[in-house]
Amino acid sequence: MLEAKGLKKSFGNIQATDDVSVEFGQEEGELVFIVGPNGAGKSTLINLLTGLLEPDEGSVVLDGEEITGLRPDERVHKGLVRSFQVVKVFEEMTVRENIRTAILIKEQMTGGWTPSSFFGGLFSLADEHEEVEGKIDDLIEQFRLEDAAETVADELPHGDRKLLDVAMSFALDPNYLLLDEPTSGVSAQETDYVIETIVEVSEQQNVTTVTIEHDMDLVKGYADRVIALHQGSVHGEGPPSMLETDQELRRLLLGVEE
Amino acid sequence: MTPGLSREDGQLKIRIMKGLELTPLRLVLLLAGIGFLFLLPAIARNTGNLPIRVRPIYRGMVLGLAAVGLNFLLRHADLTSFGHAAFFGTAAYTVAIMVQIFDIQSAVVLMAVAVVAATLMAALVGYFTLPHEGLYFALVTLAFGQLAFSIPVGISELGGTDGLNALTGASGVPIGEQYPRLGGLFFNGQEVPNTILFWVTIVIVVISLLVMYRLIRSPFGSALDAIGQQRTRARFLGLPVKRYVWAAFIISGIYGGIAGALYALFFSTSIDPGSTLQVFVSGDILYIAILGGFKTLTGPFIGGIVFETLSNVASDVVITGPAGETEVGRLITGAVLLVIVFGFPSGIVGSLKPGGRVYEAGRTLIRNPSVVGPWSRQAGRGVVDAGRRAVKNVRILIMGVK
Repeated sequence: MLEAKGLKKSFGNIQATDDVSVEFGQEEGELVFIVGPNGAGKSTLINLLTGLLEPDEGSVVLDGEEITGLRPDERVHKGLVRSFQVVKVFEEMTVRENIRTAILIKEQMTGGWTPSSFFGGLFSLADEHEEVEGKIDDLIEQFRLEDAAETVADELPHGDRKLLDVAMSFALDPNYLLLDEPTSGVSAQETDYVIETIVEVSEQQNVTTVTIEHDMDLVKGYADRVIALHQGSVHGEGPPSMLETDQELRRLLLGVEE
Repeated sequence: MTPGLSREDGQLKIRIMKGLELTPLRLVLLLAGIGFLFLLPAIARNTGNLPIRVRPIYRGMVLGLAAVGLNFLLRHADLTSFGHAAFFGTAAYTVAIMVQIFDIQSAVVLMAVAVVAATLMAALVGYFTLPHEGLYFALVTLAFGQLAFSIPVGISELGGTDGLNALTGASGVPIGEQYPRLGGLFFNGQEVPNTILFWVTIVIVVISLLVMYRLIRSPFGSALDAIGQQRTRARFLGLPVKRYVWAAFIISGIYGGIAGALYALFFSTSIDPGSTLQVFVSGDILYIAILGGFKTLTGPFIGGIVFETLSNVASDVVITGPAGETEVGRLITGAVLLVIVFGFPSGIVGSLKPGGRVYEAGRTLIRNPSVVGPWSRQAGRGVVDAGRRAVKNVRILIMGVK
């Protein structure tokens, strides 16, 4: 289980998260969606959990172990992986090379930084490991990137870039995957496809997936549990039906007055 | 895997070692290049009028080797070092100090100790650059380069601005045997030892390039590419980015160190701050990498030879005016860099490779020689336009916008 315990973070006068305590992975492999209006502290929460930011107060606990203060890469080795709202892939590499790089980094770092892993990494060849190539093929197939496999990331359509970004996260065999708006900037026709693919792979690999999402129809369609943030605090959490029944939440999210 | 032949997409490939497969054309070009270098001392001896001289070309080879090291950071980690002379100079000075003060003459020992010294220097400088990227990285390396420069300048035991020589001070050593030596051979600047050191250097360069070839294709190399292209993402894939950059920095410095040590063995009578540690040396190493093509493996090395030959020729050019003679060598090399940056941004080797500007233009030309007409018109128009723009800009600068 991944727990945020009383996380507080402020930027100047703005309290981005104010005493946020939430849990992810109450059931293994659950799909949690985080919703809330702009400025609610959704991205800040993910940044605090993954180590991009350090909290002013509070702690992050992963599977019973406190990980506050650990470097982002150390958290990744413990199975906590994230993606970014703005796609961050290696622009000059092909899809295949991007995924290969992710897998090789994982393999080099499994067991930590040791002389043998380091020098092994220096004097083998990146593309000679058959099991790695097989895993790349599997991921490319799961994310339906076969046609784009040899395309340089820079030239991919936006939806494929998003999928590549998520595929690289899955290449690390995460236990917990935090996705910051995987559908942002994706065309309306593609959003369903992107989320559907992510959900499918998450379920196959039994990964607890936490997704920030603005499209309420998608949230209702796929969420096991919804957490709503507002002005840096947890407004409420519950099943996706909460989005229908909680009138105040509807007003906050959609500006709907009923 | 042993050397052999293979076929890929109908293209014959010759395997040199694991992971290194070349087309016949490339292999021939490479062997021709290496053969040419081996013959160079003989060619230089017999062609007095051509600008082929052993000393500048040797300097170009070692600066080129340092540039290969610098390029490891530049091309893969996207880090521009303005201080690589620090490692080059540290190694050169280590050789001089070892010979002069400790009476050690064995070239093998000198090389080894000098490279260790440069490695330690790179570890130290690299450590302080770790938090920085982009401009700040460049500035920190520049600052450390200047610091390294100021040490021998300020310490009279190290010869100040005059520098040191690498001649042993031990008494009873006959003149001519005071120099660094390999086996029974003293590198005393005479023709035969010079030529042998030249050949040894070619072998070291070839090995260094092969090692670099493997490094950039290793998992370490792809991790470094990842850092260069998207540092945040690399970190969030679980890479301890700073350690990797540090390791790359040290490797980069080792290349500078090997180059510096070779330089000191060859130019053993004049190891001074101006030609080994000064900021201009750092600048030259960076220039060389860009001139030769920083997106290629061999480019920086070839760039070194071209650059030093060019500088050597240019330094002979003197303009005599009313105020006396003016050397315009730097002006010429500067102009060439401008032409390269704007006209051939992928450098000499980058332009000659498939996809490169010169290569593609050549192909088009062979297929359809009539393109020369339109091309020259285009080029003419380009020059005229550039001239107009320049005049306009100068007018604006002088008279303001109207």
